Amino acid sequence: MGISYSRQKKLIVFGFLAIPVSLLIVFMFFPTLKLFQFSVTNWDGYSASFKYVGLENFRQLILKSNDVWIALRNNSYYFFIHLLAIPFEIAVASILCGKIRSSKFFQSITFLPYVINGVAVALTFSYFYSPNGGALNSILDFLHLSVLKMGWLSNIYIVNFVLVSVSLWRFCGLHVVLFIAAILSIPNEYYEAASIDGANSLRQFTNITIPGIKTVLELVLFLNVRGALSVFDIPFLMTNGGPGYETSTFMVYTIKTAFQFNQYGLASAMAVILMILIIIFGYVQSKAIKIKG
Amino acid sequence: MSNLVTSTPPKTKSRPTGSFQYLVMGLITVIVFVPLLIIVLASLKTLPEISQMTPLALPHGFYLGNFTETFVKAKIILSLLNSLTIALSSVIINALMGAMAAFIIARFDFKFKKFILGMFLVAMVIPFYTVEIARFQLIKSMGLYNTLYAPILIYIGADMMQIFLYKQYIDKVSVSLDESAMLDGASYLKIFTKIIFPLITPAVATLAIIKFVDITNDMYIPYLYIPSDKYRTLTTTLMTFAGDRSVNWASISACIIWILIPTLLVYFSFQKYILKGITAGSIKE
Repeated sequence: MGISYSRQKKLIVFGFLAIPVSLLIVFMFFPTLKLFQFSVTNWDGYSASFKYVGLENFRQLILKSNDVWIALRNNSYYFFIHLLAIPFEIAVASILCGKIRSSKFFQSITFLPYVINGVAVALTFSYFYSPNGGALNSILDFLHLSVLKMGWLSNIYIVNFVLVSVSLWRFCGLHVVLFIAAILSIPNEYYEAASIDGANSLRQFTNITIPGIKTVLELVLFLNVRGALSVFDIPFLMTNGGPGYETSTFMVYTIKTAFQFNQYGLASAMAVILMILIIIFGYVQSKAIKIKG
Repeated sequence: MSNLVTSTPPKTKSRPTGSFQYLVMGLITVIVFVPLLIIVLASLKTLPEISQMTPLALPHGFYLGNFTETFVKAKIILSLLNSLTIALSSVIINALMGAMAAFIIARFDFKFKKFILGMFLVAMVIPFYTVEIARFQLIKSMGLYNTLYAPILIYIGADMMQIFLYKQYIDKVSVSLDESAMLDGASYLKIFTKIIFPLITPAVATLAIIKFVDITNDMYIPYLYIPSDKYRTLTTTLMTFAGDRSVNWASISACIIWILIPTLLVYFSFQKYILKGITAGSIKE
């Protein structure tokens, strides 16, 4: 080729980056800026004009609206219960890295729910928990535990836990697979040296396995913050946020505010708050791990 | 690295592999399969059977009527074609563009490099879902609402996470390969297409499969941007079908199974790569 390398370099740098960078600007950064703009307006989403209302939307959300706090409370169920599941996920991962037979088979079973369509998962569990002839109530009948039967998706004291159980079913496998990879990446010599020194399995686990999977642990914790704060399809499809606002998460509430109640400005303010929360929580959590570690 | 992982002997030193471990794994297997089995049972039941029997009871016969009925009613073929069009075009374009951008970032120094890298990093931190409110207006004003371009452009443009993974792989390819090709007078374009891209193809393929599964399973984007009947995807067709109050659990279950078949086929045929790909992103050497 006749073109000099310095000229080629200019061409290829521009040619290979132009499209992805412009797509990123158009579909990611521009809407993000627009979101901040909408969040200080009273726009309804379709009128030609809107008024700037300053921080009124934020004031209303934080001080006046009870539903936002209910939504955040509902998100916190997902956050804390998934957090509590993490030790179990690590335990399952270490079982699967151990001497168990057919570990490949169990690994693919564990991961299976993650590849199942979210709508299919929601419907499957709507049937499972259905009050009229649902599977769980029949199982309880079968076990002579009929006293425990209830409207799993309408009882406001348990419905959030029921929805979180679906989320656990769907996402724990992903975490387990991540932990498996982390455990396998620890050099085997560490364990050999430790057993020569007479360290028992528990000590090996706390002194070698846990430090060895720190990076992945951080990743899973961040995924948990982001996932828990943006839960959408499970409550949206299974209860539509109801009864009342009892199971409506922040995302369900935001989408409804925008597209059903046509309060675009308000919904944008909610999205901005969500974005800030995810960044703050993610940051605080990673700092907290650094201090501990 | 892959060979290393598979050949590594078992790690944890729990000597006699206790029955406790099998108990735990058995329990997990039951938890994973019971809800799915109940759906399979329901899908094989006739209308009187589904309304009278408990969900755990076995159907009397092997009734396939729900499957034939929902196949037509839920427009499975149309939805499958739409899902495939969206997923394949976004995955292929996204993988190519990601690999090209990663090549530039890994191999060249140029003005604004830090700035562009920073842009990709910030885009990873901005939660995908929250921008939707504003992106929706943008798509509408571009005239892309209710066209297949809307989901495709969003999947391509808003998700560039894989650039950093590809960069990790390209960094592992020795620069001396590039240099010797340059001595032979190869252009940069040729170095990318003949040396770099073939070497990172396994990584690209793995991520592409995962992305394919994620996109076919996504409900949010098609639900918001392509509500039109002719653009139903596997996900939205199931939503529409189940939303119809006149349908019963037997036919919903059959519809669930129809739309699970494509992703499950992909999962079981490429399982090894999917599991490897999921983990590749999380582990630094």
